[in-house]
Amino acid sequence: MKHRLLLPALASVLSLASVVAGGAVRAADTAPPGASSCTGCHAAQRIPDSVIPRIAGRKASDIVQFMREYRSGAWPSTVMGRIAKGFDDQQIDAIAAWFAAQPE
Amino acid sequence: MATRRTFLKLTAAAASLATPSIASAQASGRVVVAGGGFGGATAARTLKALEPKLDVTLVEPNATFTACPFSNNVLADLREISQQQFGYDGVKKAGVTLAQTSATAVDASAKTVTLADGNKLSYDRLVMSPGIDINWGALPGYDEAAAEKMPHAWKAGAQTVLLRQQLQAMDDGGLVVISSPANPFRCPPGPYERASLIAYWLKIWKPKSKLLILDSKDTFSKQRLFQNGWAELYQGMIEWVPLSQGGKVTSVDPSTLTFVTDFARHKAAVGNVIPPQKAGTIAQQAGVADRTGWCPVEPVAFESTLRPGIHVIGDSAIMGGMPKSAFAANAQAKVCAAAIVELLAGRKPVDPILINTCYSLVAADYGISVAGVYRPDKGVLTDIPGAGGTSPLEVVGGFRGQEALYASSWFKTITTEVFG
Ligand SMILES: Cc1cc2nc3c(=O)[nH]c(=O)nc-3n(C[C@H](O)[C@H](O)[C@H](O)COP(=O)(O)OP(=O)(O)OC[C@H]3O[C@@H](n4cnc5c(N)ncnc54)[C@H](O)[C@@H]3O)c2cc1C
Ligand code: HEC
Repeated sequence: MKHRLLLPALASVLSLASVVAGGAVRAADTAPPGASSCTGCHAAQRIPDSVIPRIAGRKASDIVQFMREYRSGAWPSTVMGRIAKGFDDQQIDAIAAWFAAQPE
Repeated sequence: MATRRTFLKLTAAAASLATPSIASAQASGRVVVAGGGFGGATAARTLKALEPKLDVTLVEPNATFTACPFSNNVLADLREISQQQFGYDGVKKAGVTLAQTSATAVDASAKTVTLADGNKLSYDRLVMSPGIDINWGALPGYDEAAAEKMPHAWKAGAQTVLLRQQLQAMDDGGLVVISSPANPFRCPPGPYERASLIAYWLKIWKPKSKLLILDSKDTFSKQRLFQNGWAELYQGMIEWVPLSQGGKVTSVDPSTLTFVTDFARHKAAVGNVIPPQKAGTIAQQAGVADRTGWCPVEPVAFESTLRPGIHVIGDSAIMGGMPKSAFAANAQAKVCAAAIVELLAGRKPVDPILINTCYSLVAADYGISVAGVYRPDKGVLTDIPGAGGTSPLEVVGGFRGQEALYASSWFKTITTEVFG
C-alpha cells in the first residue's frame, strides 16, 4: 500500500523540521489546534501503570484511522468517540502527523 | 488510509511546522505566572518548553501543592492525602524560576507584580491562575471559623482531612448534609461525586447513616448517571433536594451544625458546606475580575478583556462553555503558553481547539465521564456541536469499571505532566 512508502518520507520531513527549528526538539510550539489537549490523557512522558494507550511516536496513518473510526462509531470506545466527533479530517491529519513526530 | 491528498496536506503541515521559527522573530522576554496549581504550573512549564530563552517565574506560596481531583477518595479512605501532594522540583528542573511567596499586588500599567516577600517582578506578559477563593459573606453564618466546624473541603488539604475525621467520628445512623452552590463553581460534578463516595464508605462502615444534598440548582452535571448509580448502589441512602423543592441553603449555624432553607432547618451530624466561590482574591486586586467575581477573557490567548497584558486561565476565568476543572485549566494553560510565545514574537496566535473531560467516581470501581470539545466562536469558547457529552446511560460489561481505571490513569498522567 502507498502509505508504507510515503510515511517514512514524511517522518524524515518532520524530524528535519524540528532539528532546523531549534536544535533540541521543539515540536510542541507547532502543535496543531487540539493536540495540546490530547496530552492531558496521552502524555509525552511514559506514565507507569496508566491504562490509557500511548500515541506519541505512533504511525500517523494509524492515528488517523483510529480517530476516524472512533468518530463514526465503527470502533468502540469509552470516551474517544465523543472527543473525535469534535475534529474534521484535516484537523485529524494535522494532529496525527504531530503525534507521529513526537519521541515514542 | 493515507492517500496522495492527505500526504500533501501532511507535508504542508510539516512545512508550516518548520517555517515560523526560521522565518520570523523568536519570542523573548519575561513572563510571570501567578499561582502554581493545575493552570499556572502547566503554563510555566509549557512556556519554557516552547521557548527556552524566555525568563519564566512562577509565584506560588506553598512548597507542596495539594490536588483536589481524587480528594473525594481521601474522604472514602481510598487514598491518603499524601497521594494528593506534589512538589515543584520537576517545575524547577524544567528551567522555571520559583518565587515561593504570594503575589500581593499587580500594577497592569507599570507591568509589575509585588510579592509578599517584598520583591517586585516586572513582566512582558503575566499569567494568572489563582484558582478560587471562598466568597466569604455570601452565605450568612459561614466564615473562616465556621469552616472549622462545617468544612468546605473545596480546597484540598487540611479541610479534606478535617471532613474525613468528622465522618470517622460520626455514630452509625448519623445524617451527613452536603450543601451545593449555584453555578458557576469549581468542579460542577464534584459535590455529587463526593456524595457518592461518602455513601460508598458509609455503606461499608456506618450502613444505618443517611446523606442529604441541599442544592441551589434544579439540575446538575451528569445528573442521570449519578442518580442511576445511586439507585443501583445506595438505595435509600442519598436524598437530593433541588432548588424548586426548597434545597437552597440561605444560612448556616455552625454551633449546632444546622443548614437553614426557606422551608426547614436540617441539623447534621456532619455538615459539609460547599460555599459560593469567586476568582482567587489577587484577581480582584489586579482588576481582572468583573462584578460577577470572575475574570472575562478573549478566547484565543485568554488575555483579560479588562487589563491588557494579563492572561487569566483556570477556575478564575470565564471560559464560555468550558467548566472549571483541572483538565480544563491544564488545557487552557497549554494553549495560553503557545499563544504568548506567538505574541512575544510579534505573531498572531491561531484559533485553538480545546478538550475538557471530567471523570467522576460513583464507587471505587464505577466511573462516569463528561467530555466537550471547544473553539472560539463570536468571542466565546463554544461547544463544537455533535461532540462531547456524557458516558452512555445503558452500558454492557465492564464499561463503568474501565472508566474508573481511565480516571485514575488520567490523574497520574496529568499530575506527571504538570509536576513530574
Ligand atoms: C473535591 C474536588 C474534586 C475535583 N475533581 C476534579 C476532577 O476529577 N477532575 C478535574 O478536572 N477537576 C477536578 N476538580 C477541579 C480542580 O481542582 C480545579 O478546577 C483546578 O484545580 C483549577 O486549577 P487552577 O490552576 O485554576 O487552580 P488551582 O489548581 O487551585 O491552583 C491555584 C494556585 O494558585 C495559588 N495562589 C492563589 N493565590 C495566589 C497568589 N496571590 N499568589 C500566588 N499564588 C497564589 C494557590 O496556592 C494554588 O496553588 C475538583 C475540585 C474539587 C474541589
Ligand atoms: C479524557 C482522556 C482522553 C483524551 C483527552 C484523549 N484521549 Fe485518546 N484515548 C483515551 C482512552 C481512554 C482511549 C481508549 C479508548 C476509549 O475507551 O475511549 C484512547 C484511545 C486513543 C487512540 C487509540 C490508541 C490505541 O492504540 O488503541 C488514539 C489514536 C487516540 N486516543 C487519540 C487521541 C487524540 C488524537 C486525542 C486528542 C484529539 C485524544 N486521543 C484525546 C483517552 C483520551
